[in-house]
Amino acid sequence: MPSGARSKTWRARVAALPALAPTLTVALTLAGLLVAVETPSAHHPIPAKFDDTQPVTLTGVVTLVDWRNPHVHVFVNVRGGGNGGNGGNAGNVGNVVNWAVELESPIELRRHGWAHDDVQPGDEVSVQGIAARDGSRQVWARSMVLSGTGRAVFHIVPEAPRAPLASRPTPRWPDGQPRLGPLPGGVQGYWADPSSTVLAQQGIDVQMDRWGLLGNIADASRVAPLQPWARALYEVRQRRFLQDDPTYLNCKPEGGPRKFQSPYGVQFVEDRERQRIFVLIGGSNSNFQIIYLDGRSQVGQVGGDDDNPLYFGRSVAQWEGDTLVVDTRGFNEDFWFTNGGLPHTNQLHLIERFTRSNFDTLRYDVTIDDPGAYTRSWSSGWNLRWIAGEDLPRHLCQDNRP
Amino acid sequence: MRALTVFVALCVAGLAAVAPVLGQEGHPLKGSWIGTWESNATHGADVLVVLDWDGRNITGTINPGTDNIAIRNATLNPDGWRVHLEADAKDRAGADLTYVIDGTIENISFHNRSVVGTWKSQRGSGRFEISRQ
Repeated sequence: MPSGARSKTWRARVAALPALAPTLTVALTLAGLLVAVETPSAHHPIPAKFDDTQPVTLTGVVTLVDWRNPHVHVFVNVRGGGNGGNGGNAGNVGNVVNWAVELESPIELRRHGWAHDDVQPGDEVSVQGIAARDGSRQVWARSMVLSGTGRAVFHIVPEAPRAPLASRPTPRWPDGQPRLGPLPGGVQGYWADPSSTVLAQQGIDVQMDRWGLLGNIADASRVAPLQPWARALYEVRQRRFLQDDPTYLNCKPEGGPRKFQSPYGVQFVEDRERQRIFVLIGGSNSNFQIIYLDGRSQVGQVGGDDDNPLYFGRSVAQWEGDTLVVDTRGFNEDFWFTNGGLPHTNQLHLIERFTRSNFDTLRYDVTIDDPGAYTRSWSSGWNLRWIAGEDLPRHLCQDNRP
Repeated sequence: MRALTVFVALCVAGLAAVAPVLGQEGHPLKGSWIGTWESNATHGADVLVVLDWDGRNITGTINPGTDNIAIRNATLNPDGWRVHLEADAKDRAGADLTYVIDGTIENISFHNRSVVGTWKSQRGSGRFEISRQ
C-alpha cells in the first residue's frame, strides 16, 4: 500500500505508471463502478452493507469523484490492493486495485461545508473506514485526508445536540390557528432534526442505532407489542442488517411515522382555501402526503391499486385547539413504516397529533393500531425542529444505485 | 380439469409478469402462491393457493375458480416458519377427501418466497412446493 505523504500532480503520477496506465485507470474505475453499482444491496442503510467491526485503511490516488445521490462515491487506485475485502479479480490490474469509497449524501456533505471539487482525480488520499460485508472492494469512509496537505475532506463531524433556542411564540394565521408551514413573504423553512430516529413504544428504553438496528436482538419484544409472527419477522429483518428495506432497495416511500424521522425533513404546505395540507417529504423518493380537513370520509379501496398505491394511506384531520389531529387508514403493505423494520399490515390505523408548541418546535405524537401485527395499540412521540431560511432538501433515491 | 387449472395458473402468472414489481411486506403467508403438488392424480400436479390474514386467522382457497378447495385450518409457526394447511375436497367420484400440507417458508425475506414440504390425502402423498407471486 502506498503511503507517500508528498503531494503529486495527476500528470506526474500518470507519467510514473506504465504506458497503459490511463487506459488501465479508466478500466479499473469502471470495474470499481460496476462493483459498486451492481451490489445487491443497492441504496442501503449503512449497517446493511458495511460491517463496523471490520476496519479498512487505504492510501491511493483518486480516479473519479461521483458526486450524486443517494451517496457520494470516490474511486481510488491503491497499489498493493489495500487491506480488507476479497474483491475477486474485478478492478485488479497488476498490483493496482480500484476501490469504491462511499460517503454520505451530497446534501449531508454540503451541510458540512464540502463541495464536489474539494477532492479531484489525481489527488492522493488516505481513507479510514469499514469494509463491505460481502468482501468486495468497497469502503464506508469515516475519514478521508488529502495526503499532501493533511486536510480532512468530505468529513462529517457528528453534531452535538443543538442548544435550545430562545423561545419564540408560535406563528399563527389571522384566525389564531397555528401555522405549520413556511411564513408569509416567502420565508422558507421546514421541519427536521427529529429528537428520535427510531420508533419504539413510549417509555421503553431500547438501544438502537440511528437506522433502527437493535443493540441486542433480545430486546425485539420490548420495542412494540408484536404478535409472534411479526416479532419473528422483525428479528429476521434485524439479523439481515435491514438490507431488505424497500425504501432503500426500491425507493419505496416512507409511509406512516417514518417520514417524520428522516434526516431530510418534511415541509407542510397549508392550502387553507381548499382545506388540505400537503406534507412534502425530503427523504426517500421525495414524495408527498395529502391531509384533508374538509370533513370528507376516508373513502377508497383500502387494499390499494396501481393508480393510488396508498403508501401514505388516506388522511383526514381536524384541529383540536392548537393540535392538528390526523386520522389515517388504508395503507398498503409494500413499505416499512419505521426505521428498523417493524412489520405492519393493511389494518394499520394511525392517529397522529401535531402541536407547534413554539416557533421552533413541533411535537409529534402517534398512536399505532394494527390488529394484524400487534397485540394492542401503542404510542410514541418525538420533537422536530424548525430549520429556518432553507427550503426542503432534494434527496433523490435512485433504484439500483448504492 | 387439469387443463383448466393450468390455464388459470398461466393467466395468473402472466398477470404477475406484466404487473409492476410490488413487494408485500405484511404477513408472510398472505398472497397468491403458484406451484406443484407432485403425484396428485386427483387434482393434477399444478396448484394455485390464495391465502389471507385477518389478524387472527389465516384463511384461503386452493385452486380458486376451478376445483375451489376451501382451506379449513391453516397455521404458521414462526419458530422455523412452519406452515400447516388442511383442506376438504372431493375426488372425481364425489367422495370426501382431506388434504394435509406441511412445509416451511424458505427465503422469508424475499417477495417470491416459497413454501416447501409435503402433501398427503387418502389418495396419496408427495412433494409440495409453491412460490409467492
